[in-house]
Amino acid sequence: MSRSPFLAALIGLTAVLALLAAGCGGGGGGGGGGDAKALPASSCSDIYYQGDGNPDAIIASDLPLQGSGRSQTVQMGEAIKFVLKQHNFKAGDLNIGYQSCDDATAQEGAWASEKCSANAQAYAQNTSVIGVIGTFNSGCAEIIIPVLNRAPDGPVAMISPANTYVGLTHGGPGTAAGEPGKYYPSGKRNYIRIVAADDFQGAADALHTQQLGLKKIYILNDKQAYGLGVATDYRNSLNKLGIKSVGFSAWNSKASSYTGLATQIKQSGADAVFIGGLVCENGGKLVKDLVSVLGKDVTLIAPDGFTPISAVVDGAGDAAEGMYVSVAGQPNEKLGAKGKQFVKDFGATQSSGQVDPYAAYAAQSAEVLLTAIEKSDGSRADVAAQLLKTKVTDGILGSFTIDANGDTNSNPVTVYQIKGGKQTTYKTITPPQDLVKG
Amino acid sequence: MTELPEYRRPWWHRWTGLFGAPRRRWRALDDRQRWQAGLVLRAVLVVVLLVIAWPLGALVAILMAAQYLDPYIPNEHAWARRAVVPTIIAIVAITYPFYNESLGEMRLFGAFPDVNTAVIMGVYVIMAIGLNIVVGYAGLLDLGYVAFYAMGAYTCAWLASVQFAGQDIRIGAVGVGGTTPGIHISIWVILLVAGLLTALIGILIGLPTLRLRGDYLAIVTLGFGEILPQVANNGDNLAGVNLTNGPNGITPIDAPGFFGVNFQQGSGSFFTGPRLYFWFVLPLVMITVFCSLRLRDSRLGRAWIAIREDETAAAAMGVPLMRTKTWAYATGAFFGGVAGAYFASFKSSTFPNDFNFNISAFILSMVILGGMGNVWGVMFGAAFLAYLNQEGLANIGHSLNQTFGTHLEVPLYQFGIYGAIIVLTMLIRPEGLIPSARRRAEFHEGVADTPLYDARHDTA
Amino acid sequence: MATDARRENISWIQGVRRAGIAPAFGFLLVALLLLWLAVNLVQTPSDFVSVALEGITLGLVYGLIALGYSLVYGILELINFAHGDVFMLGSWISFSFAANRIGLDAGSSGFTVIWGLGLTLLVAMVFCGLLNVTIERLAYRPLRNAPRLAPLITAIGMSFILQDVGLNRLGPAPVSVPNILPTGAVFTIGGHEYRWSSLIVALTTFPILFLLMWLVQKTRQGKAMRATAQDQEAAAMMGINVNRTISFTFLIAGSLAGVAGLLYALYSTNIRYDQGFQLGLIAFTAAVLGGIGNLPGAVLGAILIGLIQQFNEGLSWHAPSSQWTQSIVFAILILILVFRPEGLLGERTPEGG
Repeated sequence: MSRSPFLAALIGLTAVLALLAAGCGGGGGGGGGGDAKALPASSCSDIYYQGDGNPDAIIASDLPLQGSGRSQTVQMGEAIKFVLKQHNFKAGDLNIGYQSCDDATAQEGAWASEKCSANAQAYAQNTSVIGVIGTFNSGCAEIIIPVLNRAPDGPVAMISPANTYVGLTHGGPGTAAGEPGKYYPSGKRNYIRIVAADDFQGAADALHTQQLGLKKIYILNDKQAYGLGVATDYRNSLNKLGIKSVGFSAWNSKASSYTGLATQIKQSGADAVFIGGLVCENGGKLVKDLVSVLGKDVTLIAPDGFTPISAVVDGAGDAAEGMYVSVAGQPNEKLGAKGKQFVKDFGATQSSGQVDPYAAYAAQSAEVLLTAIEKSDGSRADVAAQLLKTKVTDGILGSFTIDANGDTNSNPVTVYQIKGGKQTTYKTITPPQDLVKG
Repeated sequence: MTELPEYRRPWWHRWTGLFGAPRRRWRALDDRQRWQAGLVLRAVLVVVLLVIAWPLGALVAILMAAQYLDPYIPNEHAWARRAVVPTIIAIVAITYPFYNESLGEMRLFGAFPDVNTAVIMGVYVIMAIGLNIVVGYAGLLDLGYVAFYAMGAYTCAWLASVQFAGQDIRIGAVGVGGTTPGIHISIWVILLVAGLLTALIGILIGLPTLRLRGDYLAIVTLGFGEILPQVANNGDNLAGVNLTNGPNGITPIDAPGFFGVNFQQGSGSFFTGPRLYFWFVLPLVMITVFCSLRLRDSRLGRAWIAIREDETAAAAMGVPLMRTKTWAYATGAFFGGVAGAYFASFKSSTFPNDFNFNISAFILSMVILGGMGNVWGVMFGAAFLAYLNQEGLANIGHSLNQTFGTHLEVPLYQFGIYGAIIVLTMLIRPEGLIPSARRRAEFHEGVADTPLYDARHDTA
Repeated sequence: MATDARRENISWIQGVRRAGIAPAFGFLLVALLLLWLAVNLVQTPSDFVSVALEGITLGLVYGLIALGYSLVYGILELINFAHGDVFMLGSWISFSFAANRIGLDAGSSGFTVIWGLGLTLLVAMVFCGLLNVTIERLAYRPLRNAPRLAPLITAIGMSFILQDVGLNRLGPAPVSVPNILPTGAVFTIGGHEYRWSSLIVALTTFPILFLLMWLVQKTRQGKAMRATAQDQEAAAMMGINVNRTISFTFLIAGSLAGVAGLLYALYSTNIRYDQGFQLGLIAFTAAVLGGIGNLPGAVLGAILIGLIQQFNEGLSWHAPSSQWTQSIVFAILILILVFRPEGLLGERTPEGG
């Protein structure tokens, strides 16, 4: 039996495949200037670019575009586009395109760690991505920041308009061991945020509680990253002010009824309840049951997890009347001249005419990122370095500086109250540093 | 229904008979006609794949044609006949990162999966093969496989991160900074440890529960699959000990290393991070497949098949029921743990929210679609469904929206699609897409017999 | 166990030793539980009562769903995973019909509310019953002779499909249902207001339970159901149309799910697309706890589970609190299935283990 046909066939087959592999190897990737490679369509929108020629680099936004907060996050994307258009899609010499990426899944209606991780890998591996605006949820940021930090071509710049978890930028009570260092394995910082962290929000809420004259507070959290963090910060600030917290426990977002929990709270004699968590974790039902058991006299205070306020009103109905919701940042009517101009111009482009406060934050993030790109030499590592040196004078959010940790030095917290099913601004508090740090 | 004489059939019988008609007609064919029909079906498959993407069609055509090489392989190298198809697939897989970007786009499915997605597909393949051992070989319905995935992931997290910052143990970790606290052991060692630890957990779970009947076992495993993630979520304060860092999860987790190259950073443009992960998940898959095949053909595997078909008869034949079932459970758990650990290292994080019943059902649907008990079918089912989950559905939605101008959000229908896959597979072809002959016989035994009481009665 | 000991005239210690460690362990657990409850009762009596009442009401809602599980399992030995999602769709159709079609809302008059609710109840029962029958016809009947796992897996697939329908209709976030019942209290016990919605739940569940028991025990259809549950082939030989009986059982089970859906919407005023999965598991636990196949056992088990849930969350002396509720319920399920699979009221069958 001749062996040549067998050998010939096998060799031929292997040769063909090897040729295919070698010959087609190395393809793809951007060519010369002006050829930014798009992020995958499964997570991201098409490249938004209306300038001349082709985009050289891409900035991406990483936001949860599904679920109850969708109206907020979609508008944030629109605000970034608005700012990019105002800059004529240029930052320095580079043509900048924009892609809006989703880190939420339809089933959860909220961010999912698989998507955050897949998105992070996509941003890191795609060398056309020069900066990321995101995320909205701190848990997602915990996943993305280290991956971006270790990306090839240097750490990728990331600026968040909304992350409030303390441990992302600095340590302190309420953070875990190894934070924030563990998010920056390369040793260099690449992440900044333009909102106050939860230690400020907790302090502001504590001051607000003190100013309302409340004496016994029961603290609830939704046992998620953000909620647990903000509840812990609030408790720490309360303790510093000398107010007693009569309880600290979690609520089960999958439960059908919270009357048992509310009864336990009633038993503790609390006159106010702090609800640290997200409204989409069955927050509406929780508010309803708290009010039904504790009566309408109970004061409810919630941090910015309970925005958009429309979601709270939808979920809780009349029970949400009189509830306080704090949001890190200024309300639109308190912004400076430039901010008011933005709200007016951007609001004109929106069909509803309303501008969510977070849209202003997204717009300011875009401005900061574009400025950093302009000041840099065009490489990813340098954009990140410039980002850490941000100093804004008379921007949309006023004037502020970013410190070496990536935190902003302007930390107002606005407390809204729900009246007649609508949000009304109650007051703005800027907590003193000694309450936050001391 | 069509066995009844014409004058006794109800007016709507033609419509309900539709589901049964193809199967009945298939059974009516003789062997030669069946071979011809099979040829036509295969040709149709290749044409469809060619339309979607010519590389896919070409690959499937080459694989089908490979069987014609058999006569050219001399008998003293008869083993090579079985090796041709796996060799081709292995070459295609290993060289994938080189050509995947120049493959162009598929119609309807969008871009070919990138290397990251390929790694995720590989991980799910390992998990599906593990579940296949439990469900497919031994016939134990396990609805809580996600517990093993979680156990593997958290083991990796404990042994390769700053979670236990009080300790400072370093064994073979690559690319971890000198001052980073915590335990940092080489990921390859952790894979083994995670597998063994998860197998131990599997044995512990199995000991009290495996003597239950099939459906009760399913519910109990579902219960464990729900309890473990909740323990992970509340694990930041278990009697004062922070075991799992609660909802904040454990992040970042070290990456594997090989000859001093850390997988997260990669080395140069040839050995990029994702490529390294991909090239190292392939041997894991191959090892898993190898173990699965060897187990199937071993005495233990035959014992599993025996208890799957009929427990009482197997026990009468001397098969030790509890021990055999526990072995199945432990082996399935082992592979789940290995896959979970690798996945955690790849994602560089592990959160309690990652683990829920949907994942267990998802892996189960892979096993069902592929063919319960058949490793190759399960591999295909796992790769395909994992791709759909990561990119495929979103891309399909994108394509449909662009072609028809609709605003479908296909990921919104994800549940429904997987549910439909499960239901349709169980109704039409319960042995899966690529079944083993034994399985096919098992599923259709008795189904064709007309049950006594399907005959119509004139009285109620 | 103990009775055997008496008959054989051995001491009770020998009786316990013969019975084994499991029942002793079980009794110990139950004793500890009762002790914990007693301490809480003594410390905070009014809270205990209010929590207990809420627990019973919640348990009754679970009970309606558990009855459906028990019925189907009794007749087909199939855990119908899709049952919880039929319940969720029942909630959805009640909400959709009442709020959008009839226009019931918080301001409707008492007469409108009564008529509206009655109509909605009818719609929900018919819709869910027919849905359940269709599911059986399409997905379970062709697999009647297939290996045991096949219809179970199909049920999981069906559950996914129904959940997706719910997700598309309701969205991923909970939907608030307008409160159409009067918000005041029916009566007040020790500072706790017993709401109208709780009363309606109680007033609906008990008659339904008795109606169902009458149906199963006293009617011809019920006899057919019991016969089919015992032995399908023998029942067919006796002239019972097995297919029609099974369809009828699914119809009844579906209607029960529809009623449960409406009551849940009224009681909890928040419906979500995955409530079926969550509550379905709890209801199945309840059915198993009471003895699967046993109707009053299902309701008893459900009441116990509801009480356990509320006690866990509401009591303050050493209560694990709501973050452990799910684990506790599942742990109970696992312990029951491992140690006493026939449940509280069931009978030990040879294959019960």
